[in-house]
Amino acid sequence: MKINPIYWQEARVSSRSFRLPMIILLCNTILALAALLNMYSMVVQAKDTAEIQYASFLNLYVLVACIEFVMILLIVPALTSGSISGERERQTLNLLLTTRMTPADIVIGKLMAGMSTMILLIVSSFPVLALVFIYGGVVVKDIMLLMISFLSAAVLSGSVGICCSSTFKKSTIATVVSYCVMAGLVLGTAIAARFASSVGPGFLVWLLLLNPAVPFSAAMGEQIGNIRQISVLQAWTGGSMQRLSAGKWLWMGVAVQLLLAGACLWMAVNQVNPRRRRRWKY
Amino acid sequence: MLKIENLKKMFGPMAALDGLCMHVRPGALYGFVGPNGAGKTTTIKVLTGLLLPDSGSVTVDGIDAMKEPGRVMEKIGYVPDFFGVYDNLKVWEYMELFSACGGLYGLNARKRSRDLLEQVGLGEKTEYYVDGLSRGMKQRLCLARALIHNPPILVMDEPTSGLDPGTRYEFKEILKELREQNKTVVISSHILSELSEVCTDIGIVEQGKMVVEGSINDILNQINVRSPLLITVCRNKEHALNLLRAHPYVETIAIRQNDIMVGFTGEQEDEAMLLRQLVEAGVMVCGFVRERGSLESVFLQIINHEEGMVLISEN
Repeated sequence: MKINPIYWQEARVSSRSFRLPMIILLCNTILALAALLNMYSMVVQAKDTAEIQYASFLNLYVLVACIEFVMILLIVPALTSGSISGERERQTLNLLLTTRMTPADIVIGKLMAGMSTMILLIVSSFPVLALVFIYGGVVVKDIMLLMISFLSAAVLSGSVGICCSSTFKKSTIATVVSYCVMAGLVLGTAIAARFASSVGPGFLVWLLLLNPAVPFSAAMGEQIGNIRQISVLQAWTGGSMQRLSAGKWLWMGVAVQLLLAGACLWMAVNQVNPRRRRRWKY
Repeated sequence: MLKIENLKKMFGPMAALDGLCMHVRPGALYGFVGPNGAGKTTTIKVLTGLLLPDSGSVTVDGIDAMKEPGRVMEKIGYVPDFFGVYDNLKVWEYMELFSACGGLYGLNARKRSRDLLEQVGLGEKTEYYVDGLSRGMKQRLCLARALIHNPPILVMDEPTSGLDPGTRYEFKEILKELREQNKTVVISSHILSELSEVCTDIGIVEQGKMVVEGSINDILNQINVRSPLLITVCRNKEHALNLLRAHPYVETIAIRQNDIMVGFTGEQEDEAMLLRQLVEAGVMVCGFVRERGSLESVFLQIINHEEGMVLISEN
């Protein structure tokens, strides 16, 4: 099988750099510390009250999953928003474009590189998430659903990062804009849904399908039930999430977000293509 | 081999290319010359598919570059005026990356990379990081990269700019080797003396138009006839100037210290007559020679600018 050369080069370079092991170490340290502290407080509580609250172990699972989800949303744009603009800054993009590589090959290679780092992070954090298996309450299928919501969020934020990276010449601007876009998708759609549930037009609620936090919270809701974190989100959106079941929010959200990611990638390919007539310059 | 017809490209209100035509025959080493902003890099970018022209046609080995850019890219190797290197990548990895980008994998890619690195004199540097190479080595690596998919045409944009004389000489030797391998090379450069040594053909572009194009020998022969007379006068310079101003074959007169550069349209006998007239008029002539035509003189005549010269009359 022929591997995308851009992905291969990125993988080779990142395997040499200090950044990848640092990201993995830092993220897993945060996750492990959160999990261990939570477990410690449970053990202390059990010692004091002589009763074991099994719901606390599910809370541990939710806590770790939430931290990991937030980390994905924060890390992926940083990994991808400098990918194409970085090639421009190094003056290597034109060299790649004069080879057999198509703009689509270049964009897909960059996305694969960003995703492979993210997958490495998700897989490496699996033991921390699996702590909950010791006590039960969550099965492998639940973890798989969680992984799907993680991957969907990673693909969306990665595609947004690449789209911004191909649109803006400077990596710094691309990074700032991609964080702004992600904030708009996560917070903006939630605010719109809250507005819709109180005074605004009802169809705005469906903007939540663009929100990567919704499939995640739906996956958690389906596994755990109406736990506190999910209830907060549902209450915040004025109960508008109750229009669909958690499972439907999950799958519809994933589908819509993958479509949005596809649109971002299509835009990125167009921006990279030198034979496209440009109307704007940044 | 390579044909550009009526190429036009506007950047806002400015015409970078204004109906440029260019014809490069197979196996030629084509020098593409012009002042800054004449449209050389724009032409090369259109040729390599990095820029879409407003109108005109580009044909490479019979393939329309506008319709089949992918096939054209297989025919062209591009050496830009910058290096374009990755940090943390070794020389052999850099070559492997671009061989994969050119559709060459595995043992074939490794063998081809090794051969090319040997050819450009980097055979011993394969384990070095690209970022740590000298400027000259990076440029040679760029040349090897451009040749990785064995293209019949090599397009080079100012490849020797910023290189020291030794590296320039090495680069020139590599160009000669490429010519022996029957590659067609288009090379844009400001170092005209180097181009005249290695190029077989030349095209001079100005303000987006091709002004002169053809075999370098033909152009130099043409320009030899028109090249100015260089008269060095030791005494009675004013007398000489008066005589020259009145002469029917003198078109232009320019002065540089003791030298008088005369645009002279007459034949060799007329030159002899002029020398005799000057001597008989009491002018002490220390030197009297028809300036040897060079690519620089062609270029300067065309762009109508010669540094350090004062044009004092034009008939």
